[in-house]
Amino acid sequence: MAEVPAAGRRFRETALGQHLGQLLRDQLGLLGLVLVLLVVLSALFAGWIAPYDPLKIYAGPRLAPPSWEHWFGTDHLGRDILSRVIAGGQVALQVAAATIAAALTLGIALGLLAGYGPEWLDNLLLLLFDAVRSFPVIIFALAVVTLLGPSLYTVILVVTISSVPIYARIVRTQTQAMKHNEFILAERAMGAGPLRILGVHILPNVVGPLLILASMDVPLVIAVEAGLSFLGMGVRPPTPSWGTILNDGYNYIRNSPWPVIAGGIPIVVVTLGFTFLGEALRDIFDPKLRKDL
Amino acid sequence: MSSEQQNQPVTGRLGALGRRTFLKAGATAGVVAATLPISQAIWAQSGKVLRARAYADLDALDPGFYQNAYNVDVMNCIYSKLVRYKSGREWDWELEAAEEIEQVDPTHIRFKLRPGIMFTGGYGEMTAEDVKFSFERVIEHDSPIKGDWGPLDHVEVTDKYSGVIVLKEPFQPLWSITLPYGAGHIVSKKAVTEAVADGGSFGMEPPAFSGPYVLKEWKPDQYVHLTRNPEWTGPEPGFDEIRIIPMDDDKTAEIAYEAGDIDYTGISLASLDQYKNDLPDETALEEYPSLYYVWLGQNLDNPELQDPNLRKAIQWAINVPQVLDAAYFGQAQPSTGIIAPGLVGHREASLIPPEGDPEKAREFLKQAGAEGKRLTLETLNASTWKTIAEVIQAQLAQIGLDVQINVQDSGSFWTMGMESEGERWKEIQLIVNRFSMVPDPYYATEWFTCEQVGIWNWERFCSEEFDRLHAEAVTVTDSAKRAAMYHRMQDLMEESGAYRFLTHEGSPVMWRETVVEPSHRPDGRPLYRHFKPV
Repeated sequence: MAEVPAAGRRFRETALGQHLGQLLRDQLGLLGLVLVLLVVLSALFAGWIAPYDPLKIYAGPRLAPPSWEHWFGTDHLGRDILSRVIAGGQVALQVAAATIAAALTLGIALGLLAGYGPEWLDNLLLLLFDAVRSFPVIIFALAVVTLLGPSLYTVILVVTISSVPIYARIVRTQTQAMKHNEFILAERAMGAGPLRILGVHILPNVVGPLLILASMDVPLVIAVEAGLSFLGMGVRPPTPSWGTILNDGYNYIRNSPWPVIAGGIPIVVVTLGFTFLGEALRDIFDPKLRKDL
Repeated sequence: MSSEQQNQPVTGRLGALGRRTFLKAGATAGVVAATLPISQAIWAQSGKVLRARAYADLDALDPGFYQNAYNVDVMNCIYSKLVRYKSGREWDWELEAAEEIEQVDPTHIRFKLRPGIMFTGGYGEMTAEDVKFSFERVIEHDSPIKGDWGPLDHVEVTDKYSGVIVLKEPFQPLWSITLPYGAGHIVSKKAVTEAVADGGSFGMEPPAFSGPYVLKEWKPDQYVHLTRNPEWTGPEPGFDEIRIIPMDDDKTAEIAYEAGDIDYTGISLASLDQYKNDLPDETALEEYPSLYYVWLGQNLDNPELQDPNLRKAIQWAINVPQVLDAAYFGQAQPSTGIIAPGLVGHREASLIPPEGDPEKAREFLKQAGAEGKRLTLETLNASTWKTIAEVIQAQLAQIGLDVQINVQDSGSFWTMGMESEGERWKEIQLIVNRFSMVPDPYYATEWFTCEQVGIWNWERFCSEEFDRLHAEAVTVTDSAKRAAMYHRMQDLMEESGAYRFLTHEGSPVMWRETVVEPSHRPDGRPLYRHFKPV
């Protein structure tokens, strides 16, 4: 195994340490990191943290207000809302992770193709991106749900298809700007093929900004999942999702507002967390936007 | 503003404002906007205006081709019919356009119209020719509701106002569903044949009105606007205008009522207890028994449900009171079949007790060798339906069945079992379903005949005995004998294993008592024509 030169290792350690230090010094960034960790850890360890089985009917009295036994109260079927909120976090993060991973992969591949390929391919892919983006997400979801039925996979599919054009367009633009740079021309002159140029030289330069964008897209994806579940087009009952908790609670909001509040809190927390963290990361990795410059 | 400032990029100015400051300002503006009485300003009206809620939007205004009860609610206002339902708690009818009507023998009904009922648009006075045209066109044009007219042969016109309805054979539902309901409305022969050459359906554009109100405007999914008919010669209707606003979600309607946007609405049974304990100001609330029937169906043609023991296991596993307690907060009673209490043919008890028996269910499941079997349960995307499905899912899990709930939106759900809409009927295994009816058992059983398989009979239950009894029962005048026939029909349904009857629900309605004094059918449906302002 080749040994990493000491100077190089020190540089990376220093850079990572610097970035982490910058993140910790940014109050909103730190708050975002804490909130994101809170949501991620509670979702990862939901099985240990949740005080009750989130699916168990009549775990307590129905529509009970918050108490020591049920911190967030119970829903119309007597299920513990805190346990359902924690379990709902798993669904939200599963959707977010799967969707963004798939959308990034497809978006990068199609964006590189459009940016580096022949003009006709670029035009064709642009037409495809615009066609997909022209469908409002909810209307598109309605059509897909009618065809495939509501499920977690349908939600992931809908949000992935809607997100791909956003990433693909950014990658395309960056690729087009980069493909005429001298170092790419030199590489080509030395006989490098398109795959090597795209994979080794262009991809590493476009992927950084995309990752920051993806982190800021997490709350958006979670909100779309919650919205679809609220409309009954998301996960199947009795699987808890923040959207279904809101929908169930909405029916009893007049006398029992706590299910709606409990279902809304994690959406607010995750939105703020990922937004603050994403903004802080953007400030760190894009010096032009640094507040201290 | 200096030229430097003018040349500054827009993004720069937004940047100076600050995104967070912008969000704060936006949130503050939102809170201020939410506190303004905008909704009340929008609906501010003068004069006697009734603002009521319908649970669905209109989709037919031709009484010969009506589809659903909410269409008939409007038709009652804009057309006249020989007889109509009496308002109150007992099912009965009274004269409307008819001055006299009598059943001469089991197949002949003689009527005489009240003179002076005018059609709008210069189409003249209502005559016996219009009655003949209105009733016969339902049969001639193969209307989807021709069943309402059953064995109608023809209508004989004896003079300008008089005639005789002639049936091929006796038809008991004539007095309970045909004449006083949708198919009994009378349209102008001249107006309709001018609008539609062959006299077929005129859809959503009535060529003439004959009721106390006329349709001024219909905005799809927004409102139906009725105003007084200037040519109406009968008793003055109570309101100058009626605005009917479609809201399919009960909770939305309840919120709209509390916000002052509507003055009359049906409410959900789940909210009934809350409203009983905490009624909004100046509001009256009344509960009516409903004619709806809700059941869990099993598709007899689905390969997964071929074993009768499995179907019995599902029937016996369901504890109906538990389901109703969860879905309706104890405000609905278990049903014994598809015919509601108070109607001929209502059963005193179902074959399977409402509480079921999990032990017995497990025995049937063992005999079927279906422990751990996976099944699907289709339900409409509405809170009550989903709750029913979730409780049934939990109850079936207790005996060892793994049920996956598929929630469908209304457009998708209501065509699932129709063969004309594709192959999805084959995928149905279990389904939560609900139908409405009018006060004659014929109207309940007609959807479960062999002829209806793949149309409205989604369980695909088909019994020769059931069909024979259904055809015979409409001709039987002896109530006890007729009731026994309907009892047997419901027994057959239950014995097939395809049905677990759940409830007839209930119809609570709420209105602003400082605005309106409503009038209802015994099942709580509004008779807007008789609503009076306070």
